Amino acid sequence: MGDVIVITSGKGGVGKTTTSANLGTGFALLGKKVALIDADIGLRNLDVVMGLENRIVYDLVDVVEGNCRLKQAMIRDKRYESLYLLPAAQTRDKNAVNPDQMEKLCKELVQDFDFVIIDCPAGIEQGFKNAIAGADQAIIVTTPEVSAVRDADRIIGLLESEGKHNPKLIINRIRPHMVKKGDMMDIDDIIEILAIDLLGIIPEDDYIVVSTNRGEPAVANPVSGASTAYKNIVRRLLGENVPLMKIEANDGFFTRLKKVFNF
Amino acid sequence: MREYVMFKGSRNGLQLVLDDSADFTVILDTLKAKLESAVVFFTKGTTVEVPSKVRVLTLEEQQDLAKLLATYGLIFCQTTEEPDIVEEVSATMEKVETLFVDKTIRSGQEVLYIGSVVITGDVNPGAKVIAGGDVIIKGACRGVVHAGAYGNADATITADRLLASQIRIASLIARAPDHLEQPEYTERASIKDGNVVIERVDI
Repeated sequence: MGDVIVITSGKGGVGKTTTSANLGTGFALLGKKVALIDADIGLRNLDVVMGLENRIVYDLVDVVEGNCRLKQAMIRDKRYESLYLLPAAQTRDKNAVNPDQMEKLCKELVQDFDFVIIDCPAGIEQGFKNAIAGADQAIIVTTPEVSAVRDADRIIGLLESEGKHNPKLIINRIRPHMVKKGDMMDIDDIIEILAIDLLGIIPEDDYIVVSTNRGEPAVANPVSGASTAYKNIVRRLLGENVPLMKIEANDGFFTRLKKVFNF
Repeated sequence: MREYVMFKGSRNGLQLVLDDSADFTVILDTLKAKLESAVVFFTKGTTVEVPSKVRVLTLEEQQDLAKLLATYGLIFCQTTEEPDIVEEVSATMEKVETLFVDKTIRSGQEVLYIGSVVITGDVNPGAKVIAGGDVIIKGACRGVVHAGAYGNADATITADRLLASQIRIASLIARAPDHLEQPEYTERASIKDGNVVIERVDI
């Protein structure tokens, strides 16, 4: 029996899908059997970020409505043997699925997989309720912005009222030089308000844009800063004790990184 | 937006005042959302009166309402009384027990109580605490706090770190200055000479 983890945030654009793709790939790189579920019905993205868009035949709604078997809808990633994706439907909306159906689906998947990772849509409506229904662990993604932190706080409250306690926090897109100058919320400010366990921090990294467009999760790239951060998070989720990345302003780092990729 | 559903403190517990023109299904949905957002704060077994002077409910509607309230552990009770007037409530305040909340109140959550409220934890931005009596926060207060919400002008708000965006006591509203200094000591807000005043308290 594995774990069902939902990646959620409330606010859009903070990196839920990127985080789902990278954590899923990260687990798969360590040989874990992973199922990624895109719960963002109608605005599916995870398949694009994973580079699996052209292999979709059946989707989540087909499974729920009984048009196909679950195994038929699971897309196996050729690059990573143990990684599977259950894509969302693009032509339907969030009301095509209900929380009971999602819970049942997760229960079925968790029998076969070490980790089931659910990419939650933005917002707190039906899509959110569906996404969290079957999860036994939640990871909240936020960025160092007041609005994102506010929404994260709301989400933590909603998770609590659904009986899902102790979510973990990922702070995404930290810009070290801005934190150093005091222009950006720092980690301590965010933790003080949200008061939940910090799972990891991810530096702002241009390579994420490249990897998203190419459909290759950044975690597979050994030189990217975000890749190291995601790898650390994966190891922490597996119970290893990995210290937090140092967020020191290192002006040379991004410049060096750019040189590596020639842009 | 108009408030279709309002909870008010009353002698026997809570009073539910329903909009007289809104569709009943709208009322049920609104009520459900309200209960959902504050579910832990409605003490189980509290009687909820629905004054029939404001909105007359059919038998079927009454049953629906009773069923919904029951899922949150609340007891439905139809009364023919006038909705309680604010003053009456504050007169009975002394008899009401204090509510102790032992957790952080997060954005979107609301604590609503007829008497005084003591919160051990933070009140985060976007959260609301509305109390008939005093509010005491053992933690940082960054949300909106309303003490003496039913007209008690003697109510006070005390917080270990009072960083509230807005403080309301009885009918007065005070807004935080745009550049708030961060106090490292306990402060108390009260009404003095018709103004909301914040003072340092030493414990």
